[in-house]
Amino acid sequence: MNIMTDRKTTAAEDALVERFDGVASSLPGANVDWVRKMRETAMAQFKALGLPDRRVEQWKYSDLRAKMREAHETRVESDAISESDIYDVLGVDLDEMLSYRLVVADGVFDKELSNIDGAEGKFEVTSLAETLNDPPAWFEEKFGKVNPQKNEAVLALNTAFMSDGVVIRVADGAELDRPVHLIMVTGSTKPGLVTTRNFVHVGEGAKLTLMESFSARRTPDMQRNCVTEMVVGDNAVVEHVKYQNEGRMAIHVASWLTELGQGADYNAFEFAIGGAMARHQNFLRFNGEHASAALSGAMMLWDNQHVDATTVVNHDAPNCQSRELFKCVLDDKSRGVVQGKVIVAKEAQKTDGHQMARSLMLSETAEFDSKPELEIYADDVLCGHGTTSGELDENLLFYLMARGIPEKKATALLVNAFIDEAIENVRNETIREAFLLRSADWLGEARG
Amino acid sequence: MAAVRETIEQVKDIDVDQYKYGFSTDIETVKAPKGLDEDIIRFISAKKDEPEWMLEWRLDAYERWQSMQEPEWARVHYPKIDFQDLYYYAAPKSAEKLKSLDEVDPELLATYEKLGIPLSEQKMLAGVEGAGPLAGAPGVAVDAIFDSVSVVTTFKEELAKAGVIFCPISEAIKEHPELVKKYLGSVVPKSDNFYSALNSAVFSDGSFVYIPEGVRCPMELSTYFRINESQTGQFERTLIVAEKGSYVSYLEGCTAPMRDENQLHAAVVELVALEDAEIKYSTVQNWYPGDADGKGGIYNFVTKRGDCRGDNSKISWTQVETGSAITWKYPSCILRGDNSQGEFYSIAISNGYQQVDSGTKMIHLGKNTSSRIISKGISAGRSNNTYRGLVSAHRKATNSRNFTQCDSLLIGNDCGAHTVPYIEAKNSTASFEHEATTSKISDDQMFYCMARGLNEEEAVALIVNGFVRDVLQQLPMEFMAETQKLIGISLEGSVG
Repeated sequence: MNIMTDRKTTAAEDALVERFDGVASSLPGANVDWVRKMRETAMAQFKALGLPDRRVEQWKYSDLRAKMREAHETRVESDAISESDIYDVLGVDLDEMLSYRLVVADGVFDKELSNIDGAEGKFEVTSLAETLNDPPAWFEEKFGKVNPQKNEAVLALNTAFMSDGVVIRVADGAELDRPVHLIMVTGSTKPGLVTTRNFVHVGEGAKLTLMESFSARRTPDMQRNCVTEMVVGDNAVVEHVKYQNEGRMAIHVASWLTELGQGADYNAFEFAIGGAMARHQNFLRFNGEHASAALSGAMMLWDNQHVDATTVVNHDAPNCQSRELFKCVLDDKSRGVVQGKVIVAKEAQKTDGHQMARSLMLSETAEFDSKPELEIYADDVLCGHGTTSGELDENLLFYLMARGIPEKKATALLVNAFIDEAIENVRNETIREAFLLRSADWLGEARG
Repeated sequence: MAAVRETIEQVKDIDVDQYKYGFSTDIETVKAPKGLDEDIIRFISAKKDEPEWMLEWRLDAYERWQSMQEPEWARVHYPKIDFQDLYYYAAPKSAEKLKSLDEVDPELLATYEKLGIPLSEQKMLAGVEGAGPLAGAPGVAVDAIFDSVSVVTTFKEELAKAGVIFCPISEAIKEHPELVKKYLGSVVPKSDNFYSALNSAVFSDGSFVYIPEGVRCPMELSTYFRINESQTGQFERTLIVAEKGSYVSYLEGCTAPMRDENQLHAAVVELVALEDAEIKYSTVQNWYPGDADGKGGIYNFVTKRGDCRGDNSKISWTQVETGSAITWKYPSCILRGDNSQGEFYSIAISNGYQQVDSGTKMIHLGKNTSSRIISKGISAGRSNNTYRGLVSAHRKATNSRNFTQCDSLLIGNDCGAHTVPYIEAKNSTASFEHEATTSKISDDQMFYCMARGLNEEEAVALIVNGFVRDVLQQLPMEFMAETQKLIGISLEGSVG
């Protein structure tokens, strides 16, 4: 209703504000003026906004303020993470995938576990903490300014608390022969709040596949706030994939801030099966003409999981194309949220933008919320969106069962046929096959 | 693309000055003092000779309103309204104590004549040709509302024979208090939103319709709203109750003079459909949209809601929105009864500096409920046109169905078209489908039409009428042709 109420800060909000004062001087970049100021401004903004609740339109269906009852310690005590830990959380296929491996363990870039042999001349990696302590000029110019968003409390919170992450620079024209696999794993036995930030700069005409994997080794209730800023140069080809398999009680908020240059080709995909409350925000901006982007995702949820995929695509340049496809399978009391917003600026003539969100509900108590928005200021455009929601088609089930396939197997077949359409959008074969295996497993033992 | 440039030039030059109903009538009026406080509410209530319970009801609403904030979520921009700088009551002096049509101020009759709404029953039966959006079709009972009061209601006797009550709500409060008490505020509660609370406190008139059990209303009912006085707000309240197995089709139309200032129109419409009843509610909204520079025009902040209270009931909203500087309007259906149906058909055309934020809510509560939304938005000039809609299915709404289609058409590149749909499924057996597209009239379509001898303007009119056809077909026969013309007028100058 419209009746005014005074907003009281929650325990989690108070704790965050208080902790910032305690840790500010020890955070990376504390001795660099602009970094310190950036953090302080962000904290002031967070104080003004508080954690987003359902009154904030963009967070209407995912009330973080209510879900995040307490804020864990921001200094995460790290128990050593070993090779076998990583194998455990990723499984054989992803662990053995031929890739450049970067490991961020408990919010700290771990050089020992990382391996980028053969990267010379193609790309460079440094830790964010090091870069913040001694920032080069190019970094200062770009960092924190990629597709900036106004009044996003979780982004402000990330800027205030970011402890580490990776800075990747792909050289102009470099074609990476294998994916860069960024493994964000927590091994601590105590709950903590992990805040990381990555910065990726892809040079003109370069080719990159970046995969971010999120897993918790020991603690099921980690809180994570991570951001990846990415600048995609002109004519670069980037595939950006995410595998989210957080702990059963985890709160996970991730934001990707991306800008595409002229003629760039960007393919983003998120596979989400973990977390108690997870939200992935994809903010994408077209800066140059003739670029194309595909954003897609697959969510498979059960129990009382709440997973949200939010996309905001700004068409600021003419002749660009965007495609979105999100699919959710919802069981038990889970809730899937798909919000998409396409904004076409006046200059962005000949924009072609489409969004699609589909959900398949396996139980009567599941919930699906969708809000596909279009905001269009140019007249020569072709934009559309669609949403569907429903249960498993009994006729299809009957068809399969009449041919001797037991109900359970028939259901699994149909669920996989549904979700795999989204997974097929992953271009990298190894990753796609790994995801298809996960989805096939999902109705069975994967619910550990 | 010389034609496109020409179009833009023309949009800048002409656009909305085409408004036909912009004259004002010089008529003696009784006004309440400016501003709003408890005394004004007492004044309105006293003027209407209302019973005590009604005054209490209003004062309670006023109290709630004071604690509320103006909603800001809609995609419309306007300077803050000074609610103390408005007249909340204005009535033609002669409008009091009317017994028959003969006593109506001839000036008033002339006004309605000019608007194409002949109020004389004889003339209407003779089928006088009119030019307005609600041109007098034979067999339509009209309740004419002028500023704050209802001046005349036609065909009352004939309707009474069928048992239908069709009268100004002020009269209903006195003569049918039990019905009013039972249903008023039962669909749109007093504190539902800022404007409904304001309306509940100060509403001065409106129509009341009651269709008894099993009756199919013998004729179309219609209300014609006219704002005449300057600096006044119009706050009317409509309540339609359809008893078991009854049917009614109701149409409203509205116009206002051209003035430099912005005037507020905050209405509340409540529909109640009981078991097996059907209500069809059509609106042709043509308030003054403001001039070519966006000066003046009506702020149309309306709360409309229908409650399918009984099983197998049906409520259908059809709206053609061409007027108003700002439209903020979401005719909704609460599908409470099992197997109930809700429909929403809308054409919203914006030109000049108009801002439209309109749509619907379909709230599925009962089993096997179904709803259908067809919305066509056309933006031209420098206008912004937003579709905002909610479709939700609650836990118990098993087997509910929704189909939504919202299409937008952009003409010129200074305008905007937006869609903000909310889809909430809390039930696995609910099946929702939603489709939306935004596009412009393609060069191919234009070429095709023009190659067959149509000039540019005719071609656009043909394509636009084709675009809105799904919705036009839902309008009562008599108004279809008029609406088609109205669409032509609204877009005149904005298209080649």
